Amino acid sequence: MKYVATLGGEPTVVEVTGGAEGHYRLTLGDEVWEVDARLGEHGIASLLVGGASHVASVVDRDGTCVVQVGGETYEILVEEQTRWIIRTRGGAAGAGRAQTLTAPLPGKITHVAVRPGDAVRAGDTLVVIEAMKMENEFKAAAAGTVAEVRVQPGQAVNPGDVLIVIE
Amino acid sequence: MKIKKLLIANRGEIAVRVIRACREQGIATVAVFSDADREALHVLMADEAYPIGAAPAVESYLAIDRLVATARRAGADAVHPGYGFLAENARFAEACAEAGLTFVGPPPAAIRAMGDKTAARKIARDLKVPMVPGTLEPIGSDDEARTRAREIGFPVMLKAAMGGGGKGMRLVRQEAELAGALRAARSEAGAAFGDTAVYLERAVSEPRHVEIQVLADGHGTIVHLGERECSIQRRHQKLVEESPSPVVDAPLRARMGEAACRVARAAGYVNAGTVEFLLDADRNFYFLEMNTRLQVEHPVTEMVTGIDLVREQLRIAAGEPLGYAQQDVRWRGWAIECRINAEDPFSGWIPSPGTITGLRGATGPWVRDDSGAYEGYTVPRWYDTLVAKLIVWADDRPAAVERMLRALAEYTVVGVRTTIPALQRIVGHPDFRAGRLSTAFLERVLPELRANDGRFATLATIAAVLAEHERARRGEAPAGDAEPPSRWRLAARPGWTAS
Repeated sequence: MKYVATLGGEPTVVEVTGGAEGHYRLTLGDEVWEVDARLGEHGIASLLVGGASHVASVVDRDGTCVVQVGGETYEILVEEQTRWIIRTRGGAAGAGRAQTLTAPLPGKITHVAVRPGDAVRAGDTLVVIEAMKMENEFKAAAAGTVAEVRVQPGQAVNPGDVLIVIE
Repeated sequence: MKIKKLLIANRGEIAVRVIRACREQGIATVAVFSDADREALHVLMADEAYPIGAAPAVESYLAIDRLVATARRAGADAVHPGYGFLAENARFAEACAEAGLTFVGPPPAAIRAMGDKTAARKIARDLKVPMVPGTLEPIGSDDEARTRAREIGFPVMLKAAMGGGGKGMRLVRQEAELAGALRAARSEAGAAFGDTAVYLERAVSEPRHVEIQVLADGHGTIVHLGERECSIQRRHQKLVEESPSPVVDAPLRARMGEAACRVARAAGYVNAGTVEFLLDADRNFYFLEMNTRLQVEHPVTEMVTGIDLVREQLRIAAGEPLGYAQQDVRWRGWAIECRINAEDPFSGWIPSPGTITGLRGATGPWVRDDSGAYEGYTVPRWYDTLVAKLIVWADDRPAAVERMLRALAEYTVVGVRTTIPALQRIVGHPDFRAGRLSTAFLERVLPELRANDGRFATLATIAAVLAEHERARRGEAPAGDAEPPSRWRLAARPGWTAS
């Protein structure tokens, strides 16, 4: 089975073979790794690689694997190779210059700092969301003009809700 | 009067901490829980547990009438407020007294005297305890704030008059930031403490936050248990604490301790309390405020003094004398505490509520895990993000740092993001190891704080691909942390019973 693992924008083709009693052979580029892996049901994995014992946790977040190992956190998108080819050949997705601010967590809008038509600079506060007793400010990633404001103070929001669109 | 049955008007790890102290002394425990907390660890651990209302704290953990009625109905004779919520609410202490319940904390008058930070500053001024220049009255209009801030001189700190825990607190570097900071501080103060009053203080640059633990019994004995250094803060909320402080020696400890005891005595203080100071680069100390409650970071004091602070609180509340004097308090070794919060340190410390699908705490020699979580527990989005406090003790500071790094490396939490990776970088930082701390430390090292330096990229890739491969093989939907099923329904096997 062939996969493409994308880490920091860099895709790597990984071929997985074996798997009997947790013994896998992985080919990453021209490197071959023999791994004895036990994947716990709670997302904690034990990996024995050439005698070295590693414990990693793997969690799916919005389709991306978040891996914690050795005190480090990696976000890795893993796709079957065919799916990766289909996705990347298109190339149109994400080409626009619009910035869309979506709610990253559930909470309540306590303040909306911009109105449609406002010019914003990178770092300008756009909205404030109160969650878990803290006010969390969300700022513009780049300069632009506010095209849409889809929320108002007092409104409850859920993760993924579009709050503000900047062009 | 001996306490026989105690209601804990709190939740999470501190409720668990109080339950443990009670159990060791044969005191029966009554937990309370909101709709969001039916499966919380304190509910599972207490002898009795009663629902008190909806998830928002104002309808449950802040509902004085319901808490008092529940205590009476359960036949409790005392109430422990923990920290946060109603811990520094004089009306709650009064309501307990009126219902014939012993409040495990200071008298209402002392809570009032110190709870109003501007009134507390007046007491400190009268005692000639050094203070940072600032307003002695809450500020009114934005205009007044501007005028007073100009007099004090920028940068200034805006603080909630009834505040604590960093909420309603803002650093204002220049006048242009004042109006926005005022709005935010008032809004946060109102939500957290039900009072929007704020005051101004001059901001001391790169200060250390050093606080003194005091214990006062009802018979006139007041002792201090030395200091805790809590300089590692983000958004004015403490993240790493230790005792002793790397820069406090015996003479300075004695002077700060004496000042703290003097403030406590003037306030008519009884029970455990904390006097907070700023320490400048020349080790001058300035009174900040007194917290009339048990502090989150109390365990580091317990570890170096051998004194169980919750037990002392219960004894004092029962009317017992302390039974020891200042010269009997001895300090030994070094203790460090790290706060494990459900937050993503690499995305602006954004709260990360959700279900803890996998959990392996740290244990081993001289490691203490004061946790409110277990495997399968869901961190609710309604309350603060503290999940557990990891505390270590060692003979000296270098050994304590190594032990903390060892314990942090063992601590595995899956399903929610936590502060653990950031704590590892903070405690391992050369400045931290050298004891070069200030409240600006974290802001300074934040730009260096990255999720990874690539050392384990290949290993992480292998783990991710194998997880995906196994999942595809089993034909499963990804087991993410967005909306995982409750482990209660899956397994009903909370991990806490095993340890």
